[in-house]
Amino acid sequence: MGFEPLVQKNPLRILKLGKDSTSEMGLVMARAGLGKTALLVQIALDTILLGNRVIHVSVGASIDKTRAWYDDILRHILQEHSVTNPHELIDMIGRHRMIMTFKESAFDRARLEERMNDLIMQDIFKADCLVVDGIDFDSVDRATIEDVRDFAEAMSLQVWFSATCHRGDERVSAAGVPAPCHEIDDLFDTVILIKPEDDKIRLNVVKNKGEVQNGDVGLDLDPTTMMVKKS
Amino acid sequence: MKRDLQKVRNIGISAHIDSGKTTLTERILYYTQRIHAIHEVRGKDGVGATMDSMELEKERGITIQSAATYCSWKDHDINIIDTPGHVDFTIEVERALRVLDGAVLILCSVGGVQSQSITVNRQMTRYRVPRIAFINKCDRTGANPARVTRQLRDKLDLNAVMLQLPIGLESDLEGVVDLVAMKAVYFDGDQGDKVRIEEIPAGLQAEAEEKREELLDAVSMFSDELMEVMLEEQTPSEEMIHEAIRRGTLSLEFTPVLIGSAYKNKGVQKLLDAVNDYLPSPTEVENTALDLDNDEAEVLVTNNPDDPLIALAFKLEDGRYGQLTYVRTYQGVINKGDTIVNTRTGKKAKVGRLVRMHADQMEEIEHAGSGDIIALFGIDCASGDTFCAEGVNLSMSSMHVPAPVISLAIKPVDNKAQANMSKALNRFGKEDPTFKTFVDHETNETIISGMGELHLEVYIERMKREYNAEVEVGAPRVAYRETITRRAEFNYTHKKQTGGSGQFGRVAGYMEPLEEGEYEFVDSIVGGVIPREFISSCDKGFQKSMAKGTLTGSPITGVRVCINDGSYHAVDSSDVAFQLASVGAFREGYTKAGPVIMEPIMKVAVEGPSEFQGAVMGSINQRRGVIIGTFEEGNYTVVEAEVPLSEMFGYSTVLRSLTQGKAEFTMEFATYKQVPKGVADELIKAYEQEKKNK
Repeated sequence: MGFEPLVQKNPLRILKLGKDSTSEMGLVMARAGLGKTALLVQIALDTILLGNRVIHVSVGASIDKTRAWYDDILRHILQEHSVTNPHELIDMIGRHRMIMTFKESAFDRARLEERMNDLIMQDIFKADCLVVDGIDFDSVDRATIEDVRDFAEAMSLQVWFSATCHRGDERVSAAGVPAPCHEIDDLFDTVILIKPEDDKIRLNVVKNKGEVQNGDVGLDLDPTTMMVKKS
Repeated sequence: MKRDLQKVRNIGISAHIDSGKTTLTERILYYTQRIHAIHEVRGKDGVGATMDSMELEKERGITIQSAATYCSWKDHDINIIDTPGHVDFTIEVERALRVLDGAVLILCSVGGVQSQSITVNRQMTRYRVPRIAFINKCDRTGANPARVTRQLRDKLDLNAVMLQLPIGLESDLEGVVDLVAMKAVYFDGDQGDKVRIEEIPAGLQAEAEEKREELLDAVSMFSDELMEVMLEEQTPSEEMIHEAIRRGTLSLEFTPVLIGSAYKNKGVQKLLDAVNDYLPSPTEVENTALDLDNDEAEVLVTNNPDDPLIALAFKLEDGRYGQLTYVRTYQGVINKGDTIVNTRTGKKAKVGRLVRMHADQMEEIEHAGSGDIIALFGIDCASGDTFCAEGVNLSMSSMHVPAPVISLAIKPVDNKAQANMSKALNRFGKEDPTFKTFVDHETNETIISGMGELHLEVYIERMKREYNAEVEVGAPRVAYRETITRRAEFNYTHKKQTGGSGQFGRVAGYMEPLEEGEYEFVDSIVGGVIPREFISSCDKGFQKSMAKGTLTGSPITGVRVCINDGSYHAVDSSDVAFQLASVGAFREGYTKAGPVIMEPIMKVAVEGPSEFQGAVMGSINQRRGVIIGTFEEGNYTVVEAEVPLSEMFGYSTVLRSLTQGKAEFTMEFATYKQVPKGVADELIKAYEQEKKNK
């Protein structure tokens, strides 16, 4: 594709994301407004640049808003790296990404599966990765996430979720995953916490590829651009 | 006479087709006593609604051209532009939004937020137009204003909150509960003109209190005073709440929602109150002009009637009284007899007749103040021109004008039609910047181009009806473009020495893709190898070549040409010789520069019941479309996609049969993209065949 340098230079390589991540489930957690969507979009773009197709599910956000995230992040990438044919890159990303937005009340696993099957049967879009942003984990039970995990395995999908944690809630799992996901953290292979620290926004990797980590992997989110960078 | 500008409102009424905006405007004119009888859009009386002055509009029951009208409500002067609802006419909507200070977004209480509402809302956001929403047709079966308000929040991302509750719905609609005054409002009499204020019915009291709390919570953030009163658990005054709603609306961070049924004469007077209370006066809107004497630097217009005049001609009409130019004044005063200057042409004009328009009737006036919308007679100009007082050289910022994407060949049926057609095309071109016309010299056909099939269809109908010009119409053609993909060198010598005076010129250099813009000419000639006087000849030759590409005969765009070498002959070199040399050089370079065909891509939004989502996506996929995304709420889905225009012909029929007529779509031009190889080969083959047949 000619976009390999963008993949190689991506600081997210530290997380060893790649083709072999199929059927894995990842989770990005943070308090509201710290950059969960920005990080998910960067993971999705990296997945696309690796040659995969991504379905980005936004619960409660519009298509335009979700697309604007991709446009913004892509603009930062193009500003930072020289790409010979930016239009080709933009086109390729458009063809490898599909946005599905649902009103909160309209989203459930069965409906999502139905939509994805529809796309596959008509040979319109076969996703390799599913990004689900905006689910309220306070009202999601273990069975639902287990169900998604089974579904991901059946469809050979890599799945990434975002979840919001709350300031006053001190509950935390043994691995260090905060509420509301502290009781279901075993269902995720990778868990990234976004935490503000002084004037920085740190990415703490609590779990990576199923292994519990010590947290600091030397990655930050730039507070101005929301781009992942090395500390 | 100076008017109190605080009491002037320039508003637009925009919405999805068939959401009843013309009916609503008709009621507004009736209640403000501009008309004395109500005619329906498709009424049995055969008169038609007042704002639908064009024959075709009356017949189709849709509004095509925006007609401006003036009315007065409770001490406020209101100028209203009725705007068309179909996306093909968005230039009309966009023009109206450019000159308006506020807008009423009308929604159907059954259909809710439909794709056209999304487009119109996007346009309003682009021009930063504060808006209030009116949920109309609450008398219809299935009416659900609360659901539509939620859609305003979810789909249009507006902070929309209802200021009223319906008293009864569907056929039981009686009136509304005003959540600011906490009173029930009924509209009595045959025409609903007797407004009766009562206590809130007991059955609605609890709901009204709950909804009022929601309203106060939402607007308190726009007023510290209101916030304090609420924290102290006191009852805020009506004025305080109105002020907070107004501030929120003007900042575009709040959208008040009113409800009613224009057809059943309910809720319209309260909407007019809301226009006065919440939409901005001309002094509250920031408008800028471009200073043509200072490199088009932005200048803030003052709205001050004592400053020199700045006015924008935003619409032309050729009516029974001659050419009518709709003008919005931004500062200064325009008087009958004044001399004004068109800053585009530099031509002076004397203001003859000055009129205030009331749909197709008019009222003579002597002068118009800053912020007014009026019409002038006998002024020669194009739509979008700026008029200033003598000595001022400002232009109102240019409007976003999309390029035409579709064309049709038309042929007059006889000589009489020929003359009338020319007259009509000349007029349409001046009225509508997205409508273009030219003669293809090879086929001798007249080509018209515009923004969509319906757009051109309407002009063909208008030619027939208004100008008596009967024309034969060819099949629609997509406006392809050609461009280059890589740098290529050229070195071409034009030499002709057979009889008479000779011709000689050599031009060398390179061409390369240009990311932004259509064409750029770079002169890197040193040492006079091409004499100065022939440089412009080269530029001319290259520009001539850009008109027609070699692949499909389409115009070429996005090329930078640089000349860096050449030679000339003291006797045989001439303007023509260097033009021809440049044409040859361009042809030589073009074939080496990887030419490709570009096609217009449309942003398409299809909406309908979720059960048809699969079928809709399949139909888009078959049309080489790229699905951008889907939105689902309940049993309702919107599919957004980018689809080549060439694949969209006849899509409405296909969609109708796929979805039992339950889905609809809108489309607008998005961008130009390279045609895939298979399609390009077919286009090239067809062009070759066409050339052979000539």
